[in-house]
Amino acid sequence: MRNASDPTSDSTSDPTSDSTSDPTSDPTVRTDAGSRGRAVLLAKGIGLLVLAAAVLSFPSLAPDAFILSVGVVIMSYAVLATSWNFVGGFTGYISLGHAAYSGLGAYATALLVIHTSLNPWVAMLLGGLLVAALAVPIGIASLRVRGASFVIVSIAMVLILLLVFQSWGEVTGGSNGLRVPRPFDESVLRPEQHERFFYLHVALLAVALLTWWAIDRSRFGTGLKAIREDEDKAQSLGVPTFNYKLVAFIVSAFFTALGGGMYALWFGFLDPIFQFSILVGSYMVLMSLLGGIRSLFGPLLGAVIVGYAVEFFKNQYGDTQFHLVAMGLLLGIVVLFMPDGIIPALSSLINRFSPQAASIREVSAGELAEQRRAAASEGKDLDATEAEPTDSLPEGAKR
Amino acid sequence: MASDTPPSTEFLLELTDIQAGYGRAALVLRGLTVQVPPATVVCLVGPNGAGKSTVLKVASGMLTPRSGTIRVAGKDVTKNSPQQMLTAGLSHVLQGHSVFKEMTVSENVLLGAYSVKDKSVVSDRVDFVKSLFPVVADRWNALAGALSGGQQKQVEFARSLMVSPQVVLLDEPSMGLDPKATGTVFEQVVRMRDAGTAVLLVEQNARRALETADLGCVLDLGRVHIQGPADELLRDPQLAELYLGGRPATTPTH
Repeated sequence: MRNASDPTSDSTSDPTSDSTSDPTSDPTVRTDAGSRGRAVLLAKGIGLLVLAAAVLSFPSLAPDAFILSVGVVIMSYAVLATSWNFVGGFTGYISLGHAAYSGLGAYATALLVIHTSLNPWVAMLLGGLLVAALAVPIGIASLRVRGASFVIVSIAMVLILLLVFQSWGEVTGGSNGLRVPRPFDESVLRPEQHERFFYLHVALLAVALLTWWAIDRSRFGTGLKAIREDEDKAQSLGVPTFNYKLVAFIVSAFFTALGGGMYALWFGFLDPIFQFSILVGSYMVLMSLLGGIRSLFGPLLGAVIVGYAVEFFKNQYGDTQFHLVAMGLLLGIVVLFMPDGIIPALSSLINRFSPQAASIREVSAGELAEQRRAAASEGKDLDATEAEPTDSLPEGAKR
Repeated sequence: MASDTPPSTEFLLELTDIQAGYGRAALVLRGLTVQVPPATVVCLVGPNGAGKSTVLKVASGMLTPRSGTIRVAGKDVTKNSPQQMLTAGLSHVLQGHSVFKEMTVSENVLLGAYSVKDKSVVSDRVDFVKSLFPVVADRWNALAGALSGGQQKQVEFARSLMVSPQVVLLDEPSMGLDPKATGTVFEQVVRMRDAGTAVLLVEQNARRALETADLGCVLDLGRVHIQGPADELLRDPQLAELYLGGRPATTPTH
C-alpha cells in the first residue's frame, strides 16, 4: 500500500505544508489541517529535541572507550549515508560506489596533512573541495546512464581507485597503508579523542542534515524529486534534469569526502582495501534504504541500526563469516516487510491510528461549491479572507 | 503571456500539410492540416491508427515532422524541441496518468511552472488554477497518488496551465475513468476553454468528445477526412455509422 494514504505520513518531506503559502486554499480543510498541522509540528519538534539529547548525551553514557569508539563509527556511517542520500534519496540514482569519494576524501586529507603545514581541519575541507571538483567530470560521465548501468559505472570507479591507490605506493603507501598524524596533541588521551571525534562527527552530520532539509524544501529539491519519479516527464516540464543531477551528485561527493576525511583524522590509518571497498559503499545504500531514502533522518536511523548490528555481529561472530549472514537476514526482513524503509513504515502505522482526511471520492466542481456553501452557512470560524468565490470563474480567468 | 495574441493571425495553432512517421516505417500523418482558433476546443476523432496521438506528438515537439509547418500564433515553430514548444505556448497533457504520484499536488502544479522564472507570475497562475479546479485547491497538500483518477487528471490540467499556454494538447483525458469522472473531466475542459485557453483534444470516446468540443476533425489514414462544427458532425448519419458506432445523435445536447 505504501504511504500514499496521507500526505503527512512522510515525516520529513511535507515541505509544501508551510513553505508554499496558499491564501486560496479551502477554509474548511485549512482549519482542520491547521490544528492537526500544529500538533504534528509540535510532535516533530519534541522528537527532534529527544533525538538531539540522545545523541549528544551518548559519550557521557557510554560505559567504556570501546563503546564510545563504536559510537564514533556509527556517526561516521551516519555522515556517509546521509551524504549518499543527496543522490540516492533525491534523484533515485543508486550509487554503490560512494566509497570512492569517502576514500578520496580520506587520502586527500591525509596527504595534505602529511605534505603541507595545513591545519588538519582546513586540510579536510580542502580535501572535500578537491573531491567535489573531481566529481564534476565523473558526474558528467556517469550520470548519462540510468538504472543498472549507473550502478555498474559507480562500482567500476571504486575498483579502479582501489587498484590505483594500491599500486601507487610511493604516494599512498600502497597496501602497507598510510599513517595519518593525529590532529590533537599527545596530552589528549584515547577516550577523550573518541569523545571529541564523536561530537565533531555529530556536527558534520548536522550540517549535512540541514543541507538535505533545505534542498528538500526548495524548488531545486522539487525538481530533483520529479527526476526520481520520472526523469523524462520532469524534462518535458522544463526541469534541467542533467544539471540538477550533477549538482546533487557534487554536493553528495563533497559531504561524503568530508566524512572520509574526518574518519581518516580519527582513525589515523588508511589502507586502500578498506577505503575503496564495495562493502562500505553497500553499507551506505543499505543504511539509507533501511531507514528510508525519502526521509531526512532515514539514513541516520539506518546507520544506527546497521552500524550497531555490524559491530555487534563482528564482536560475536567475527571469527566466521556468520556476521555477513546475519546482515543479509536483516536486509531481507526489511525488504520484505518495509520496502520503503523504517521511517515511512512507522509513520504510516502511526497515521493509521490518527484521524484520516476524508475519502477520495470523485467530487464534481458543482458538488464542491455546494459543500462549501453548506460549510459557510454553518458559520464555522471563517473570517473574511476565507470567503472565496471558488464556484464561479475567477477574475483572472479572462485575462 | 497567453493574452498578447497578435491579432494578425486567425489561429493560435496551425499544423499545415504535416507529414510525419516513426523511424523508417511508413508515414503516419500524410499531409494533415489542423487549425485551432482562440478559446476553442478542437477535437480529433478517428479509428485506432488514424494518427490522432501522433498529431499531438508533432505539436508538442516530441516528433519532428518530415515536412509541413507548425505555427503558434503565426510564428513558425516547426523544428522546436519539446521544451521550446512549451515556451512557445504548447502544453501537452500526456495519455494515461502522468502526475508525480509520490509528490504533493502543490509540488505537481508548481513543477508545471518550472520554466517560468517570475515568482509573481507563478503565484498568479497558482491562484488561477486553484479557482479553475477546486479539487486542486482542496487537496493542495495531499499526495497526488492518493487522488482518484479524475482528480489526478485535473491536477495534470492545472499543471499544464501553469505556463500560461496558448493551446493545451490533451491526449485522451478520459482514459481509464468511469463515466462520472469522465463527465467531470470534460466539464473542466469546457471551463479551461471558457477561461480563455484553446484546447486540442484527442479522444477515443468520440461521441462524448464531440459533445464537449466546438470543432471536430475526423482523421483517417493520416489525413483530416471531415471537419466542421462538432454538433454537425454528431448529427451526420454517415459519420455516426463509420466512427461513432451507430445512429446519429438526434437530439443535440447543447
